Amino acid sequence: MSTAQFVPLRFNWKTGLLAPGLLLITSSSVFAHNIEKHFKVEPRSVVTIHNPSGKVVVKAWTKSEVMVIATHTSDKVEVDAEQTGNRVDVMTHQISNSISPEDLRADYQINVPEDAELQIHDDSGEVSVANVLGDMNVETVGAGVDLEDAAGYLTVRTVGGSFQCIRCAGRLEVSSISGSFKLLSLRSYHVHAQTSKGNILFDGEFLPNGIYRLKNYSGVIEVHFSPGDSFDLSATSLKGKVNSQASLTPPAHAHPVYSKFGNAILGTFNAGHAKVELSSFDGTINILKRE
Amino acid sequence: MATVTCRDFQGRFESSDDSPRNDSPDLSIQAHLRDCPSCRNFIEDLGKIRAVGAQLAASDPEPPARIWFSLRAELEKEGLIRDTPSKSPSKSWVGELFSGRFSVLPRPVLAGGYLAALLAIAFGLSGPINSRINRKRWLDGNQSSMEPLSAQLMSAEKASFSSPPASETPVTASLHQNLEIVDNYISLCENSVREEPENELAREYLYEAYQQKADLLAQLNER
Repeated sequence: MSTAQFVPLRFNWKTGLLAPGLLLITSSSVFAHNIEKHFKVEPRSVVTIHNPSGKVVVKAWTKSEVMVIATHTSDKVEVDAEQTGNRVDVMTHQISNSISPEDLRADYQINVPEDAELQIHDDSGEVSVANVLGDMNVETVGAGVDLEDAAGYLTVRTVGGSFQCIRCAGRLEVSSISGSFKLLSLRSYHVHAQTSKGNILFDGEFLPNGIYRLKNYSGVIEVHFSPGDSFDLSATSLKGKVNSQASLTPPAHAHPVYSKFGNAILGTFNAGHAKVELSSFDGTINILKRE
Repeated sequence: MATVTCRDFQGRFESSDDSPRNDSPDLSIQAHLRDCPSCRNFIEDLGKIRAVGAQLAASDPEPPARIWFSLRAELEKEGLIRDTPSKSPSKSWVGELFSGRFSVLPRPVLAGGYLAALLAIAFGLSGPINSRINRKRWLDGNQSSMEPLSAQLMSAEKASFSSPPASETPVTASLHQNLEIVDNYISLCENSVREEPENELAREYLYEAYQQKADLLAQLNER
């Protein structure tokens, strides 16, 4: 069911006047290629985006339709957007063997239904997703990833890109090597965040029966809590420091292995409904009262 | 001739010594075997298992003496047997196990208990909690188990960089930069594990760093 259609971008009179002049002084390759495509989809559609370089912005809307607007400047790449059943695949293709990183760049603005599932691969650039409630898998090398008001099962993997998640819910698994994470106003029942060199800031709710695992090699892990929160805490830094402002009830049984090595704080805050595990190799762990 | 189902057929195995009775060939059984490929396969598999079992029984390898000593020590500690001096502990003790005070138990139960005890001891030897029995061996084993990993990663790294790319893109540069970071952590973790071999958290960090390095090398290879 392909209802894809090419829609020319709106004519802008300023651009219209400027374009002939620019044509005289620039080569054709610097002109932006703009593509807009629309696809009708059923509930729970899947959208895959594969872009080696550039900005990918995805927003949810109320229509049962996926809209893809792509922009690229080079003739050495082309953009494909195709529908197979309830899946829409968006991809930047390299059509020349010799291509510079700048030529590879393509930017996307994509609108999807709220319940869409996303699979995004963007090596460098930036990924931004807002209001999408379906499951999501994002993989990048250097591109930073920003999620806002996302839910579902969220998995994010970067190599050096940072990650920020604001008001996310559901289940979150994020890993990186040198990227830092900011998890703000989170309402997730399962968080597993691991980076090697980056910092991790967690400022969210500890839901009953939730599991929150934050881990790094070096850098700072900072967790904010409120007086009404309830969690079991295990915070260990093998070679670094652990600072806590939480008044904890000591555990009935000391942790058999980890507390022997490094610096560790173990205990229960209020009734211990959630489980919070923080660990670092030689970084600092701060457990701070929310201001 | 009564119809025989697969369940009937296999039920005969349970009620007999592993084979349908051949002394009075049952035509319904033969008919079922002829028509049912599943039961035919079952019979074939059973034949193979029997053949392998017979070979194993014929070879009857003698376990090393330390197994008997460990097993005996463990059972003595549990109070299941008392110390009875003997010149050849393995034979007399095992003989006692099977023909002495435990002879009232059916042999499969004894064999099961023997296997369970062996597994318990093996777990004790390999696990961190009961490692006192052979702690050094456990530590050495852990150390040596990491060496192949490290060597494999080294050779993968060499293979990855044997043909350098014509030009490094920002993406491959980022991958190389992160590879250096991971290498640095590997080195830190290796030192830590060397200093505190029982530190499982350090070991966990080391394994994860190896995993990260393997992932990065795979990504570099793809480009």
